[in-house]
Amino acid sequence: MLQAQKKHARFLFMFIFPAFIIYTVFMLLPILNSMKYSLYSGDGLIPDTFVGLDNYVKLFTEERYYSKFWNALGNNIKFFLIVTFIQNILGFFMAVFVTRSFKGNRFMRKLSFLPTTLSVLVVGFIFKLILNPYYGVFDKVLEAVGLGEHIIPWLGDPRSALIVVSIAVSWQFFGESVLFYSSGIDGIDESIMEAARIDGANIWHEIIHIILPSVLPIVGIVTILIFIGDFTQFDIIYAMTGFRGDPGYSTDLMGSLFYRTAFATTERGGWGTGMGATVATMMFLIVTLGVGTLLAFFNKKKEEMTK
Amino acid sequence: MELVKKSILTMLVLLLAGTMAFASGQQGSSTGDGDKVKLVFTSWRTEDIERMNRINAEFTKENPNIVIDFQPVKDTEYDAQLKQSLAAGVGADIIFLRSYDSGYQIYKTDSLMELNDLLPELKDFPSAAVAAWATPEMTSYAIPAAGVVHGVYYRKSIFEKYNLDVPATWDEFMAVCETLKAGGETVFAQGTKDNWMLYEVMYSGLGANFYGGEEARQALMNKEVRFTDDNFVLAMEKMKELQPYFPERFEGIDYVTMQEIFGTGNAAMFMGGSWEIGIFEDLGGLEDVGYFAPPLAKKGDTLQYCFHVDAGIGFNKNTKHPEELKTYMKWLASSEYAQLYMNELPGFFSYTPGSYTLNNDLAKQMQSYVAESVPTVRTVWEKLSAGSPSGNELVGEAIQKMYANELTPEEACKFVNDQLSWYY
Repeated sequence: MLQAQKKHARFLFMFIFPAFIIYTVFMLLPILNSMKYSLYSGDGLIPDTFVGLDNYVKLFTEERYYSKFWNALGNNIKFFLIVTFIQNILGFFMAVFVTRSFKGNRFMRKLSFLPTTLSVLVVGFIFKLILNPYYGVFDKVLEAVGLGEHIIPWLGDPRSALIVVSIAVSWQFFGESVLFYSSGIDGIDESIMEAARIDGANIWHEIIHIILPSVLPIVGIVTILIFIGDFTQFDIIYAMTGFRGDPGYSTDLMGSLFYRTAFATTERGGWGTGMGATVATMMFLIVTLGVGTLLAFFNKKKEEMTK
Repeated sequence: MELVKKSILTMLVLLLAGTMAFASGQQGSSTGDGDKVKLVFTSWRTEDIERMNRINAEFTKENPNIVIDFQPVKDTEYDAQLKQSLAAGVGADIIFLRSYDSGYQIYKTDSLMELNDLLPELKDFPSAAVAAWATPEMTSYAIPAAGVVHGVYYRKSIFEKYNLDVPATWDEFMAVCETLKAGGETVFAQGTKDNWMLYEVMYSGLGANFYGGEEARQALMNKEVRFTDDNFVLAMEKMKELQPYFPERFEGIDYVTMQEIFGTGNAAMFMGGSWEIGIFEDLGGLEDVGYFAPPLAKKGDTLQYCFHVDAGIGFNKNTKHPEELKTYMKWLASSEYAQLYMNELPGFFSYTPGSYTLNNDLAKQMQSYVAESVPTVRTVWEKLSAGSPSGNELVGEAIQKMYANELTPEEACKFVNDQLSWYY
């Protein structure tokens, strides 16, 4: 028995080792290196003066730094909530819809996944064109259906810009949630559904008593994926509102804040590599803590359900 | 166990081979083919590849053993890329440098040649331009290569339709705007989505005549006056006066859209920079485009002309071909290069002493104002943008907020002054 286990472990090790090397060289070391830089200060790309936790103290005590940091974090939370709402709730109903048997449901399923295959930058630029106040098609459509007076400069108004950007991201990754949920719904034993129907259950009963409890673990996975994606999101901001998160930093997220502070020159909003690495480390902590919390929460839910 | 050892060894060998191949690939890029020496030239102007290649071909004609490889990087990525490549020891030989602090930061990484002894002719260049790429002790690290001006472009056909003359004063300017608006034209192609335009072109260009140009800029930098002083607020109020003439939903119009609106003849005027001549040329109908300098506060004033120091050319200290690089450096500082450059890139003005003929009408018009003006640069570019948050960002943000009716002109100035506290 012991001999067999040993052999098994050795076998497993061989599988894990190559991935581990690649992971270490390309992920772990850069992350640790970046954390190291957050303790340094200096000009150029490689800061050389050790300053201890000074960068962190500066980030949270000097208004010029913390105002931007809290602003980006606040925006990011709003962004996450909007995206979660659209992708989770609407995605769920869409999945229920496409798993019903009707003509064309296969086609609908494929169609809903199509935007996910596009590049985020492409989606960003397309949305920007559609919403262009001068020649964009969206305003023209609103005018044509008589809603002309409600038109605002969608991406130029701090009240609407973040919402518009969130919708663009949700639109793109909507199909991903649909895919996850519909595969969950497909996994439900058809005989259970049939039994419910015979007992006179309508669609709402089915959703609340059968579908929702069985896809609850998937809600967790989708939420965690959205969380990671949203708190490291950069591309869509870069494409739609520039790396300053215009107008007036109202769409500045953690990703764009990090890019700007670490890589731009001081004149364009850079804070130097040391402070940039500090922002990156904070992002890492936020994502790690967030994912940990969400995992614990959904695991507890799962346990409650299986009891 | 033997198998494990073997597989580890194979992995390591593969990894090593991979890194070595990668490293040699990097080095190969800077050595030329045959006995020719290749020098790599980098800049943030990706749109200039063909033009720079034509200019450099002239150099290679005279120096057949040296080939210049122009490899620009997208503007927004340029600074990060440059820093990275210099730190990794694979930086280009010839490097476009931004003026003042950005360029100085690169110099401080100890990767640029000092030019005072190498290029004695620099002392004949305009001293203000030389200072934009020199240490406080006046050690030069770049040749001042290109300056840009800011003013107002207009469509000649639209002006003719309303019998309008080119305005010289602000009052005349406002009258022109009023006439155009009454006629139902889109007066300006201006939008406020990209706020750098608001500061770099509008406030620095058109505001200079109101805040007092170069003298006021120097006083601001020397901490003798503040941004909340009356003259700076006045310039801000003048910017606000333009708002009624912006197109509908201007808050959502970005820089490229502005250029398209004006370049396709859909607006009468566009406040822009001289670097845009090429863009309007590409959009067609350049003969219909005219230009006038920022309107004066009142008749008889001297024009405060924002002639901004845009690009300098520095040289990599760690080049593999120092002798060839020096030959090219001499040529870049010659009037021959300056003439070629201005022919190829109208709207960029060389600082190299000499007499030149400009072949582009718009560029000629832009330059015609120089003789009777006081040159200045963008308001808070020097020193006031060397810390965080930079003056450059703050003024842009303040004007953007002012046009969004979040701040009054006075509050906008206070917004800038308050956040510049790191400087005082």
